[in-house]
Amino acid sequence: MEKSTARLGWLFASPYLIYSLIFFLFPLLWATYLAFTNWNLISPDYEFVGISNFIEAFFSESVRAAFFVTYKFLGMFVPIAVVGALMLAMIIHTLPRFKGLFSVAFFLPYLASGVASAIVVNGVLSYNSPFNIWLRGTFGLDIDWLGSSILAPLIIALMMAWKFAGYYALLFVAGLESIPKDIYEAAEIDGAVGFKKFWYVTLPMLYPSFYTVTILAVGLMFGIFTEPYVLTGGGPDLATHTWQLEIYSQAFERLNAGYGTAIAVINSIVTFGSILVFRKILEKWGARHGWE
Amino acid sequence: MPDMAGNNKFKLTCLYILAFGVLILMIAPYIYMVLGSFAAWDQVDRKIIPTEFTLRSYEWLFFGGEGANARPWMRSFFNSIFVSTTSAVLMIVTALFVSYSLAKLKFKGNRVINNVILFQMFYPAVILLIPLFLIIRYFGMYDTYWAMILPKAVNLWAIFMYTNFFRGLPDELIEAAKIDGASQWKIVWKIVLPMSKSITTIIFLFVFMERWVELLWDMIVVNSEDMLTLNVLLAQMFGPYGGYPGPMYAASVLLTLPILILFIIFSKNFKKGMQFVLK
Repeated sequence: MEKSTARLGWLFASPYLIYSLIFFLFPLLWATYLAFTNWNLISPDYEFVGISNFIEAFFSESVRAAFFVTYKFLGMFVPIAVVGALMLAMIIHTLPRFKGLFSVAFFLPYLASGVASAIVVNGVLSYNSPFNIWLRGTFGLDIDWLGSSILAPLIIALMMAWKFAGYYALLFVAGLESIPKDIYEAAEIDGAVGFKKFWYVTLPMLYPSFYTVTILAVGLMFGIFTEPYVLTGGGPDLATHTWQLEIYSQAFERLNAGYGTAIAVINSIVTFGSILVFRKILEKWGARHGWE
Repeated sequence: MPDMAGNNKFKLTCLYILAFGVLILMIAPYIYMVLGSFAAWDQVDRKIIPTEFTLRSYEWLFFGGEGANARPWMRSFFNSIFVSTTSAVLMIVTALFVSYSLAKLKFKGNRVINNVILFQMFYPAVILLIPLFLIIRYFGMYDTYWAMILPKAVNLWAIFMYTNFFRGLPDELIEAAKIDGASQWKIVWKIVLPMSKSITTIIFLFVFMERWVELLWDMIVVNSEDMLTLNVLLAQMFGPYGGYPGPMYAASVLLTLPILILFIIFSKNFKKGMQFVLK
């Protein structure tokens, strides 16, 4: 009986095992090897080139751009998304009725494909859009939103915040609902009202939700592809050139498979390291405020 | 006292106005998209709120477009539906069995598998991109549906979610069914699956959506125009259709509609399922 259960266990788990072997472990090892070659994706011959791919990547302008652009996105997106999500959550939480309706409505942007939202954003903000013509005509404001190396990343960050805020808000709502009522009562006796109550009671009590949302948001920033690919193509002047764009263009447009893989390896190390650092910072902050 | 009630009422009204304002802001891009898809062609992207409407953009889409701009829009829509549905169903079925074995069939190694899954989930997947493409090409699956479905037939997040959920299901139920002579296959289909309806709908919605909006992978493994998904075709036509924004908006609507419909169908289970997913 025991033995047959074990056999069945392995059998039921086999789709995962086969999948992981073919589509995870094997490609992982292959990637590690490819990163040290100069293969061009087509020719049957290639050479082992040691760490020269990594050295080339280190001095490459576009790789450096990808590295910094990611942190730029992070610095814009994470605060906007976290604060926005918190506001949405507070609205949902405070409403006496129609909570469900509003939480579903705020979640709707999450359903949008990045391609479709890029088309809309381009329609609204491209240089000759009715909105920009109106701005120029009425206020004399001449802004090239998608052609500016400061505004273009900000717009992409805002697009992504629009998409994810409703989703993150649901996490905050769950956090808000789990705060025990008697803490508020105790705070009220101590004289905390209105904004004070929010700042000194609600916010610290929401730490677990903050932690989850921030880590999710940080992780997301290392995998941006669709929005900049469609909307800006990485421009202007590499201002929205993400890791994924760099890897895609190296491997599949310029056919530098070996070099592209080396960049992917660097990217995964940077991603892993950065998320680890962010987690440590958040955990330290939490521990100092009584969260284990 | 009546003063305070009035004050509260005022506050509440403000809150509803704020909530409604934010709601409009959140759905404004969708409204713009729909208006753009129905607007007369000389008004698309020329007037913020169009005044004349036409079905020409949808006609263009349904019949493929005109002259050199003809593209297999409907075919790509079908491709998207086919690929996403197959992929999502496979993800659900595989996750169902894998998670059941991890949560309920105690065998040596299931602890290790659990930890490996957690590691894989947080591992940056982009490193696998190029070798995965090579594997697909090696097996002759380049430019086929297989390339878009097989590497996305198993979903780690779905396994993770189901495993957590199944752990909470009472063992007695399964034991009782076993005593009644039900096989483990039957238990999964007839007992476990019906008990996890709301979580299944949420997992399905999320994996379907993730598959539906995939761009990078579908761009890499598919080449011929008849094989493209709607998402990829739309992304590719972004530049070339610069002079035809109407059909682009119509295609965007077409790209959003299935997810929206799915969401509405599942919204009954949304709250219950989300409560678990967000835990």
